[in-house]
Amino acid sequence: MANDKRDSLHVETFRDHHVITQPNPLRKVLRRVSEKDLDDPVARAEKALASLSGEFKNWMLTEVDRLAAAQAALLKQGVNAASRDELFRAAHDIKGDAATFGYPSAAAVAESLCRIIEHAPDLAQVPSELIVHHINAIQAIVRNHTRLDTVTTASELSRQLRGVADEFLTRVNRDRPEHLEAVLAPSIAPGD
Amino acid sequence: MFRIDFNKLRFLVCDDNPHMRRILRTLLHSFGAREVYESEDGATALEMYSHYAPDIVITDWSMPIFDGLELTQMIRQPESKGNPFAPIIMLTGHSEKRRVTVARDAGVTEFLAKPISAKALYQRILNVIANPRPFIKTKTYFGPDRRRNTTATYIGPERRGNGESEVVSQPSLLEKARSSI
Repeated sequence: MANDKRDSLHVETFRDHHVITQPNPLRKVLRRVSEKDLDDPVARAEKALASLSGEFKNWMLTEVDRLAAAQAALLKQGVNAASRDELFRAAHDIKGDAATFGYPSAAAVAESLCRIIEHAPDLAQVPSELIVHHINAIQAIVRNHTRLDTVTTASELSRQLRGVADEFLTRVNRDRPEHLEAVLAPSIAPGD
Repeated sequence: MFRIDFNKLRFLVCDDNPHMRRILRTLLHSFGAREVYESEDGATALEMYSHYAPDIVITDWSMPIFDGLELTQMIRQPESKGNPFAPIIMLTGHSEKRRVTVARDAGVTEFLAKPISAKALYQRILNVIANPRPFIKTKTYFGPDRRRNTTATYIGPERRGNGESEVVSQPSLLEKARSSI
């Protein structure tokens, strides 16, 4: 039957692999429109995102509080898997969210902190000031965000902290080639 | 020019961060999607995946207990009762090359590094709908073809053996999954 053919998977079997092709089940949601079509879903979504922007500062403050709490737990409990993971997740969320919320410098500092947590051979041996300076910088960038003169300061602060962190990570990973390669590698992940 | 009828699509969004879920929900609803299911961890997402049979999954990587990578690996089980072919877009703050490779090898369809933008998300969705890749099954991998392009000038070793090929038709697992709901 025609339907059987349309709904079936085609499996090509080779010596060490199979290639499986199925009719595209999502093709039905594609609709051809005229070049003159004025509907712009991306613009509509950007507008909706902009309408949320009034909440971004509060969201960032929540994220910053979570990071501070994770740091406090780390100090209280010492470094263990749970305290390390929570600090990493709190920093990692800021790394991912902050630029969307309009705080790119906070994202850059959070990325630097994530790299320290991920690539330091022993987090307990990382100078505590290095972690504290990162967290303080993120807090300051978020809390003073509305002041125009802080934009370049925040950018310079994030750049300098990343430099210090990279220098530290390069030194402590000199005998750990896999980590050293990751520390020195540029980011290549696809974004826009 | 093509447009996507988002109102015919069912999405599953998995992210432990409520702010990011709100952003994703806002973007998808603005595109026109009506059915957007949300989960804050991989285990719940897997249950929802089986229950709702979404067309597209958008997942974060780092989540407590059961992360986005494990979710992908659980979905990409060729013998599972559900649909192992659904497009999976990994939306993550991880942006290192080796992370992209790990995600690809787990069976992720598209990788999108945060910060998120409406344009980048739309393009990834359009790509998984308009340009689906065949699936490859080997002893160690089941997922979308990791070779996006063929290069005539490639001079490295050929890792896939050829030999005889046999074409076997099977009923669509997607239809099977949908009909079992």
